[in-house]
Amino acid sequence: MAQKSFRQALNEALHFEMARDPRVIMMGEDLTGGAGANGVKDAWGGAFGVTKGLLGAFGPERIRDTPISEAAFIGAAAGAALTGLRPIAEIMFVDFAGVCLDQIMNQAAKFRYMFGGRAKTPLVIRATYGAGSRSGSQHTQALHSIFTHIPGLKVVIPSTPYDAKGLLLQAIRDDDPVIFLEHKMLYDTVGEVPDGAYTIPFAEARVARDGKDVLIIAIGRMVSVAEEAARKLAADGISACIIDPRTTSPLDEDTLLDFTDKIGRVVIVDEANPRCSVATDISALLADKSFDALKAPIKLVTAPHSPVPYAPNLEDAYIPTAAAVAKAATSIAKR
Amino acid sequence: MSTIEAVTVPKWGMTMTEGTITQWMAKEGDSVAHGQELLEIETTKVTNVVEAAASGILRQIVLKEGTTAPVGALAGVIADQAASQEEIDAFIASYADRLGASGDGQAGAVAPRAIAVGEGVINVLETGLAGEEAVVFLHGFGGDLSTWLFNQAAIAETHQTIAIDLPGHGASSPLAGGDDLLARIVTAVEAALEAVAPTRIHLVAHSFGGAVAAVIAASQPQRVASLTLIAPIGLGKTMNRDFLTDFIAAERRRPLLGVLERLFADPSKITSDMVEGTLRFKRLEGVPEALTAIADIIADDTGQRQSITEALAGLKCPVLLIWGDQDQIVPVPQAADLPANARLIIIPGAGHMPQMEAASTVNNAISENIKSDT
Repeated sequence: MAQKSFRQALNEALHFEMARDPRVIMMGEDLTGGAGANGVKDAWGGAFGVTKGLLGAFGPERIRDTPISEAAFIGAAAGAALTGLRPIAEIMFVDFAGVCLDQIMNQAAKFRYMFGGRAKTPLVIRATYGAGSRSGSQHTQALHSIFTHIPGLKVVIPSTPYDAKGLLLQAIRDDDPVIFLEHKMLYDTVGEVPDGAYTIPFAEARVARDGKDVLIIAIGRMVSVAEEAARKLAADGISACIIDPRTTSPLDEDTLLDFTDKIGRVVIVDEANPRCSVATDISALLADKSFDALKAPIKLVTAPHSPVPYAPNLEDAYIPTAAAVAKAATSIAKR
Repeated sequence: MSTIEAVTVPKWGMTMTEGTITQWMAKEGDSVAHGQELLEIETTKVTNVVEAAASGILRQIVLKEGTTAPVGALAGVIADQAASQEEIDAFIASYADRLGASGDGQAGAVAPRAIAVGEGVINVLETGLAGEEAVVFLHGFGGDLSTWLFNQAAIAETHQTIAIDLPGHGASSPLAGGDDLLARIVTAVEAALEAVAPTRIHLVAHSFGGAVAAVIAASQPQRVASLTLIAPIGLGKTMNRDFLTDFIAAERRRPLLGVLERLFADPSKITSDMVEGTLRFKRLEGVPEALTAIADIIADDTGQRQSITEALAGLKCPVLLIWGDQDQIVPVPQAADLPANARLIIIPGAGHMPQMEAASTVNNAISENIKSDT
C-alpha cells in the first residue's frame, strides 16, 4: 500500500470529497496563497501545504481566501452550512478560536437544538494545534478540552495519516459541526494510506498496540509518544497496551472501559493543560465505571498548567515525553 | 566440537519486518528437542509458535518476553553441554554483527504487483525461485493474500509461490454480483495465472477459495498438478451463514472481534492489528457491496449454494482436504460428501484457520501433497 504523509492524506480527502460532492466548499486565510494579493496563487497550498492544488482543481468560487477575521468567516461558514452547503473552514492556528468562539459555541453548536432538530449544520472547522514548532504561546495550544466541553460539537484528533484521511471524510459527511484538529508536528509523519475513499466512524477508538500490564490512553500526537514509551517499557519487561480515542466527542467509552476492566492499570497522556481536560474527564469516567477493576491509581501525564513557553528548552520541557510516560507506567505496573 | 544453533525471529509473510516475543515455552537450561514448541511471537496478524530447529539445551534467552525485534534477530541460543559460556557469548556477539550487516536486506519486503485482467486488476505476491511449477495460494471470503502469512514463505523455500488476492479482496478489483460471479472470479484468476504462473501449478486454497480452485482444477486438468483445500466450501450444505452476514455488517472493532473469534479455536490468538486490518479493508468504498455479492453465491437460507463434489471426483491429480476439528464456519463434512479420491487430514484443536492455527502441520501436509504428484 502507498506510503503517504499526514499532509498528503488530508489533501487527498479534500480532493476526493470536493470532487464527489459539489456542496463542499472551503474558506480560510491563505488557503490559495493570499486574498487580494496579485502574486502567484496557490504557491504553497496554505500555511502548512494541506490545501495545495485545490484552487486549480475546483476554482476560486469553492476555495475562498478570506480576510484575517475568524469571527467573519467562521460565522459565514456556519451560515453557509445552514443553507445546505458543506463548508470546511480553516483556522490556521486553533489558538485563534478565541476570536470566533461565539460563532462556534453559541451559534454553530446550537442550531440543531434551538431550531427543534430541523436545522443541520454540516460544518467542519479544521485547525492546527500543538507545541513543538517554536511558535510561541499564542500559536501552540492544545484546546480540544474546550471544544469537547461544548455540547453540539464533535471533536476529532487524528494521530496517523490513515486516520487523518478516513476521519476527515467522515467529518465532511457528518451533519453536525466538527472541530478537526491537526497537530503541526504530525504533518510530515508517514504511514500506509489507501488510494481509495474510506470513512472511520466517530466514537471508535483504535487499539494502537496490544499489551497486558498497563493501559496507556493517548490523544493525537501523544499516541506516538506513548508508542515510544511502550518500546522502552517492553525492554524492562512491562507490556503496554495503547488506545487512541480518535474522537473526544463523542467518546468511545465502551472500549476505554473494556480495556480498563481487562488491564486495571491506566496512564492517560495528553498534551493539553491538565485542569478540566479530556485527560481528567476520561480519568473520572474510568474511576466511576471501572473502579473495581483498578489495581492502582490512574496516572495522568500532561503538559503543566501554564501557557506554552517560547524558550526552546522550556517548550521541550512542557511537552509530555516518552520518558515521563514510561516512568508513570512503571510506577503503577507492579502495584 | 560443540554445536551452537541460533533461534531467530522468523519472517512469516512478506510484509513482516518485526515480531514481539510474547512467551518462552522453555527456560534457560531446559533440554529442547527438534520440533518442540519453543516460543510464541506476535506479528501484525496473529500469534504463532516458533519450533526448535535443533535439539540441545536452551543455553541463553537473548530476547526477553515483551521485546519487539526485527526479523532475523537472535532470540535465543541452543547448544550442547560442551559449548562453554565464552563460546556462547562470542556467538551472540558475532550475531549482532551479522544482523547489522544483513538485517535490512533480510527484512526488505517483497512487493506485490497488480496484473491487469479484463477491466480490473488482480494483486499477486510472488516469492521463491522461478521454476517449471508454482504453488498458487487462494484465500477465503473476507481474507486476502496475507492469509498465507505463515505458509507462503515456508513453501517458497522449495518452490515458486504465488499468492493471489481474489476479486473484491485485498488490492484486487471487485466484480459485480450475480449468479455467474464464481465463473467470472475464476476467469479473472485464470487470466492472472496466465500472466504470472508457469505451465504447471499446485493449488492451495482456503474456504471460499476452495470453490475457485476446484473449478480451475476441473477445467484445466493438464495444468493443475495437485490440489490442497483447507476447510473448503462446497462439500455439503451446512455452514454458518451468520458469519458471512455478521462479517459484512460489523463496522466497528467490538462487533468485528466477536465475528473473527468464530474463525479460531483459540480466539486469544487474534491481535488488535488483525481486527484493525480487517476493518481497514471493510471500510474501503465498494468493499461491502463486493463482499455481499460473494456472500450471496456462497450461501442462502437453505445453506451452501456451491458444490465441488463432482469437480473433485473427476480429478486425476492428488487431492488433499485439511480441516480443523473445531471449525465453526464450515464444519468437517459427512463421509458421504467426501469424494473417494480425496485424502482428509483433520487437525485437532484448530478452527476454520488451520493454516494459521497449526501452520507447520499444514505446511508439511501441503509439501507432501505436492510431492505425491507423480
